[in-house]
Amino acid sequence: MAQAQAFETDFWKDANLRKTWDEIVPGVPRKTLPYTLTREAIALYCKSVGETNPLYLDEEAARKGPFGGLIAPPSIHILLMFSCTPADDWMRSPGTINAGQSWSYNIPARPGDVIRLEARALDKFIKRERLFVVHDNVFFNQKNEVICSGRGQTIRPA
Amino acid sequence: MTQTTTFDALREGDTIDGPSFAVSRESIRLFCDASLDYNPLHLDDNYMKGSFGKTSFGGIIMHGMNNFGLISRMLTDWAYPAGALHRRLETRWLKPVKPGDTIRPQGIIKSKQATAHSRWVVLDVLVSNQNGEKVAMGEAMVEFPVANAA
Repeated sequence: MAQAQAFETDFWKDANLRKTWDEIVPGVPRKTLPYTLTREAIALYCKSVGETNPLYLDEEAARKGPFGGLIAPPSIHILLMFSCTPADDWMRSPGTINAGQSWSYNIPARPGDVIRLEARALDKFIKRERLFVVHDNVFFNQKNEVICSGRGQTIRPA
Repeated sequence: MTQTTTFDALREGDTIDGPSFAVSRESIRLFCDASLDYNPLHLDDNYMKGSFGKTSFGGIIMHGMNNFGLISRMLTDWAYPAGALHRRLETRWLKPVKPGDTIRPQGIIKSKQATAHSRWVVLDVLVSNQNGEKVAMGEAMVEFPVANAA
């Protein structure tokens, strides 16, 4: 769990380094980090939402199942969004409010996968005095296969 | 309805009931650790007493994506035993969820469609709290591959 230990959990730290709504340029790629997904990270995510499916947690049962081995739940991108972005990424700005998400799933992520994120802001706008950004995110595995792709909207701190 | 199904047996209006989930400060903190999302919205009561971004919450709130994870769990628990795949989920949040709330996702079959190479079910999804208030809603797609037909 070296990655988890290294992860900065104080989102106020270096908050001044993160782009504000004014500075975010739609179309510019975000800096991202490769992340090796582990069984432990999958198990912790499963615990947090009450997932008990053996496909995610029981190696022997998963091997006999439809995916031929352990997989992560589709919604593991919730973890990947933060594990694949650096501390100065604007998704960490305190007060960022998630306004909605849509995700399409291609193939499952698996323990041991080295996962890469391609991400950018696609658009930004003002609505009812709130500052919105539209996000575009695609996660790939080490074979360059798409795991999932998603679009989201956040309300940025003023 | 039964939790194991086939594409042919599904009817518009059929419902899927997801798991009840008790929200606590501990469950929110666990979701922080599992998702690495340590936004103070979910951790810092003092910060949440303030008003910001034209929104005031009055205390820490659950991650919106915790709703998303519960809906996804409901869909996979329903789809996998039927040989089906959870292919899409779109959600938006209607109301903040706070410690002490109990939430439960539900799915309602909206339509079925056969395409050139597969078969799809479109579902409305929602999450309700203990007062019957909708806290999240959206839409999902589940694929029933032809090769897996019973």
